[in-house]
Amino acid sequence: MEPKIDFTNPAYYDNRELSWIKFDSRVLSEARDKSIPLLERLKFVSITSSNLDEFYMVRVASLWDMVHAGYKKRDIAGMTAEEQLAAINKAARELVNTQYSTYMRSLVPMLNKEGIYVIDAHEDLTEEQGAFVDRYFMENVYPVLTPMAVDASRPFPLIRNKTLNIAALLKSKVNSNETVFATVQVPGVLPRLVQIPGKENTTVFILLEQIIERNISMLFSNYKVLCAHPYRIMRNADLTIDEDEASDLLKEIENKLKMRQWGEVIRLEIEDKADKKLLKFLKSEFKVADEDVFHIAGPIDLTFLMKLYGIDGYDRLRHPSYTPQRVPRIEPGSDIFAAIREGDIFLHHPYETFDPVVDFIRQAAKDPDVLAIKQTLYRVSGNSPIISSLAQAAENGKQVSVLVELKARFDEEHNIVWAKKLEQAGCHVIYGLVGLKTHSKIALVVRREEDGIRRYVHLGTGNYNDSTAKLYTDCGIFTCKESIGEDATAVFNMLSGYSEPLAWNELVLAPYWLRDKFLHLIEREKKHARAGREARIVAKMNSLCDPGIIAALYEASAAGVQIDLIVRGICCLRVGIPGVSENITVRSIVGNFLEHSRIFYFWNDGSTEVYMGSADWMPRNLDRRVEIVFPVLDEELKEKAFHILQTELADNVKARIMQPDGHYEKADRRGKLPMNSQEVFCREAVAAVPKEGPVSSQRVFIPAEPVE
Amino acid sequence: MAVHTFAAIYIGTYDVSLKIFEFTSRKKLHEVDHIRSRQDLGRDAFGTGCIGYEQVEELCETLAQFKQIMLGYKVDDYEVYAAAALRDADNELFVLDQIYLRTGFRVKVVSNSEHRFISYKSVVGQETFEEMIKTSAAVIDVGGASVQITVFRDGSLETTQHIEAGIMRIRNLLADRGQSLKMYETQIEEYMNKKLEGFRAMYMADPVDYVILISDYATELIRRMDEKEAGCQVKSEKFIKFINKLQKKTLEEITRELNLSDDREPLIIPALCIFKTLVLNVSPKEVWVPGANILNGIACDYAQRKKLLTISHDFDADVLSAARYLSRHYNSFTPHIEALSKLSIKIFDAMKKVHGLGRRQRLLLETATILHDCGKFVSLSESPENAYHIIMSSEIIGLTHQEREIVALVVLYNTLPLDDYEELSDRLDHEDYLCVAKLSAILRVANALDQSHRQKFKNIRIAVRDRQLVFTVEVFEDISLEQALFEAKTAYFENVYSMKPVLREKRIYHY
Repeated sequence: MEPKIDFTNPAYYDNRELSWIKFDSRVLSEARDKSIPLLERLKFVSITSSNLDEFYMVRVASLWDMVHAGYKKRDIAGMTAEEQLAAINKAARELVNTQYSTYMRSLVPMLNKEGIYVIDAHEDLTEEQGAFVDRYFMENVYPVLTPMAVDASRPFPLIRNKTLNIAALLKSKVNSNETVFATVQVPGVLPRLVQIPGKENTTVFILLEQIIERNISMLFSNYKVLCAHPYRIMRNADLTIDEDEASDLLKEIENKLKMRQWGEVIRLEIEDKADKKLLKFLKSEFKVADEDVFHIAGPIDLTFLMKLYGIDGYDRLRHPSYTPQRVPRIEPGSDIFAAIREGDIFLHHPYETFDPVVDFIRQAAKDPDVLAIKQTLYRVSGNSPIISSLAQAAENGKQVSVLVELKARFDEEHNIVWAKKLEQAGCHVIYGLVGLKTHSKIALVVRREEDGIRRYVHLGTGNYNDSTAKLYTDCGIFTCKESIGEDATAVFNMLSGYSEPLAWNELVLAPYWLRDKFLHLIEREKKHARAGREARIVAKMNSLCDPGIIAALYEASAAGVQIDLIVRGICCLRVGIPGVSENITVRSIVGNFLEHSRIFYFWNDGSTEVYMGSADWMPRNLDRRVEIVFPVLDEELKEKAFHILQTELADNVKARIMQPDGHYEKADRRGKLPMNSQEVFCREAVAAVPKEGPVSSQRVFIPAEPVE
Repeated sequence: MAVHTFAAIYIGTYDVSLKIFEFTSRKKLHEVDHIRSRQDLGRDAFGTGCIGYEQVEELCETLAQFKQIMLGYKVDDYEVYAAAALRDADNELFVLDQIYLRTGFRVKVVSNSEHRFISYKSVVGQETFEEMIKTSAAVIDVGGASVQITVFRDGSLETTQHIEAGIMRIRNLLADRGQSLKMYETQIEEYMNKKLEGFRAMYMADPVDYVILISDYATELIRRMDEKEAGCQVKSEKFIKFINKLQKKTLEEITRELNLSDDREPLIIPALCIFKTLVLNVSPKEVWVPGANILNGIACDYAQRKKLLTISHDFDADVLSAARYLSRHYNSFTPHIEALSKLSIKIFDAMKKVHGLGRRQRLLLETATILHDCGKFVSLSESPENAYHIIMSSEIIGLTHQEREIVALVVLYNTLPLDDYEELSDRLDHEDYLCVAKLSAILRVANALDQSHRQKFKNIRIAVRDRQLVFTVEVFEDISLEQALFEAKTAYFENVYSMKPVLREKRIYHY
């Protein structure tokens, strides 16, 4: 017998944080891709920057929590929290260096070539520009600034998380021996990028902090400014609510939002040529160690590049915008329920429009036969048409139940507002579940028809957010299958606090059932492989870091199952380990749209099963969230789902393939035609739109016949 | 619209549940929604005997929510039932009043026999059921308060027995004694075996082929045992083996294995023990869990009443066959009884216009006739009183408690003079009193015609002529005994119906 392999050996796993940083660098490498239009590349830099901020606030912060709590347990890859922090620090520095060198050395010169200038040193201004900037400062900036000095009677002020500030050292004009520290926040209410006059055919911007720096002496009239530098801090912002203690979940979160500013400082970013004395002072006030100080060779906080991406008049530097196509089966404006009755409908966003989902709720709200609408909402767009439809439905006397997840990270404030709005309209609002985040995406419409009650269900992989649906690739289905309808009703009963159903027909739910289901499906492929039959798993998701699932995949691979994974972000699984993961491939697609759908395909000895859903293979999705994974039952729909997987596996433009050493490399394209899966889907969606007949496009006034 | 929507609500011993049904010509009975809310009413009811105010509060709250859901479905009608937990509580009336005031629900508190009949209705009519009872089967309904066993042989109902050993009751009795799980299980099993001893000796001389198990936890259990087949039917060895295997585990492991929602579902332990001892005592070949519950029964019952659904099963036949079995059990089933039941029915039918009673009363009369002699088993001289008590303590599935009372009184007044209404007013309302009087009068006349218990009359024709009820009988034997007593026995009849029975004989000499 062959020696038994311990599939849980930490050596077979990658640390999840480091894997995440690898993902962020994959995004960054898009910014370095010369084949991509310039402004698109800026967008990717901006994304890496905001990603990294969130990563620090959530992941690094929670590692710090572990360190403080003396938590000694090792992670999946055998690292302690301290070891991880050290490794992250190193990797993050590399990432930031690449980020700035990309921006400063290649993107800025190219921008300049195109006549776009971003001035990040006020000394470079022409006289005319200087005058403009000074006037702008006095009129717009000065009134909202709150400079704060620190001395014996004035303690160090609270510096808000993630805000950009300018620190200055001042010398009193009266008592010249005394140096005073002062700080001023760069107001978040004003645009960071300010357009200023420039030469013809150029667009010139200056960064707001430069405007303030230039005029900083105005703020401290009795002092001489010795030096002034922008800086920014990052605090521990991981929101962990003790739900058992909270008598009122809503209140608790509102409190948490105010408290979040007080977290400890875990990162300090400062201009790289900053004054030593100033830096020393900041370090001691914020209690940060040297290794948590990042010297930035360029403007701090590159998220402003997203604004630059959107500037007018430079369309040639952007991808031509893509209009989501109509779903072939649903004629715009037609009865969506009738269309669903004809058979299940597959939706693939953003290639296909999200409108049917919005229409589904809108039509239900007005339909006199509709009895009830139930929906889970996780992250919703600002002025969501879905929310107003739900409110309208309640006003029309329908039973409307909405589960609003308040714990959606960083979105709470936003969510509370519209949750209250819905409640006022008469909807039954459930504010999440104690101890579980509701991540499932399901909408149910109960309709009374001639032959009894019929339930229409939409199940999806993405949020009910009409704006992100234009950027995220997600899948969904409409169905009125009775088995799924019954399950959907049961889901909402369960979410409303009633007992769970005795059994589920089709849907698989986390936290209680989903893990076992996936393990069972993987196990089944393993058995097929053992028995010498063909066995294959193709799975697409955002992140893969669940130790149990990975171990099962290793076992399956060792048994001979061919496993192809399309994992956009974190992947703790490693490929090519002899005897463990030789049959596994992992690829990550980072493209113009954010890959977001989750599709799971199991060959099952020829009777294939395809699942889609809201869950990644992460412990948090499988154990601490309410997730729904649903089978794609209709053969035609199954084909569509599998086609997505096949096309992505064939992608050789945007796909990066994981190597046995853990780093990702672009697919080898020698001898092959370039194939960009996202572009393929765009083309296919355009081609699939039914051609309008010549009759309907005719527009003729018809003269009335004379009356006799 | 041809669709009729109905909501059934049941207030049970450990949960309150709601089902929404649709009756359509196409789908017949279709379940749309099922909502359960955990509520340990039994803990209070069987523990302190009184349902505490927190429980009442919670109950009303849940019912109010159910009402919202019901309204959401725009139901055409609904019914709210409650059983043992409320029935056994001292403050039943106050709780019912609170429920009414807060939700507008009039809760129907059913007696055990009605309750069992309703849950029995949920399986009846299913093909498997009709197939199974053709050989022999025991329907075992394990509830929170008690267990009901109904035995069928050769297609007809034999007996139904009520054993006060429900899941919740057992738990209240034996749990929290600070012992190990194993000991707890042993105790329950011992207790159950003792409870079932009599039943086994009396009715299980021949084992039955099937056990049809109706209980909340049974569905989860059978589903785990038999994951491949959807039939929910397993060999009883497999059933026992599986429970034995489960019993080796801890409570947490059991609940996880059975996928129960509550991590530490305390009721599962007594439930498993009860299932096991029941199956061991009845020793069937196979166990079937139809998965229906009382709510389906409520819907079937409702639909049957409203003629929305036709159930092929003959419930009247169940009643009669149970009565016959009972009669045989007390050694009173003779040719006399057979003849008499035919006769009394004949009289009943002939007098349709005179008595104004319906089909149901006809069934009661027949049942009473079959049972009228069973008291002799206990004592020959006090037969009527004993018969009354025997009937009152025997369950006849399909009869309500009130109907059973009528049957018992009909038997009683077959011999004893009818008491005044005042004497009986706590047991009968006016209408039922009249019914008792009318039926017992018929029974008495029928009895008078077979005084010798030898069925001397071959052909009886019965007809109402003016104010006379004329019996024309063909005889070839001497009927002087019958003739002599006829007068005496029919005075009561005259009294009740203002009509005189007259016996005319037509002698025949060849047959």
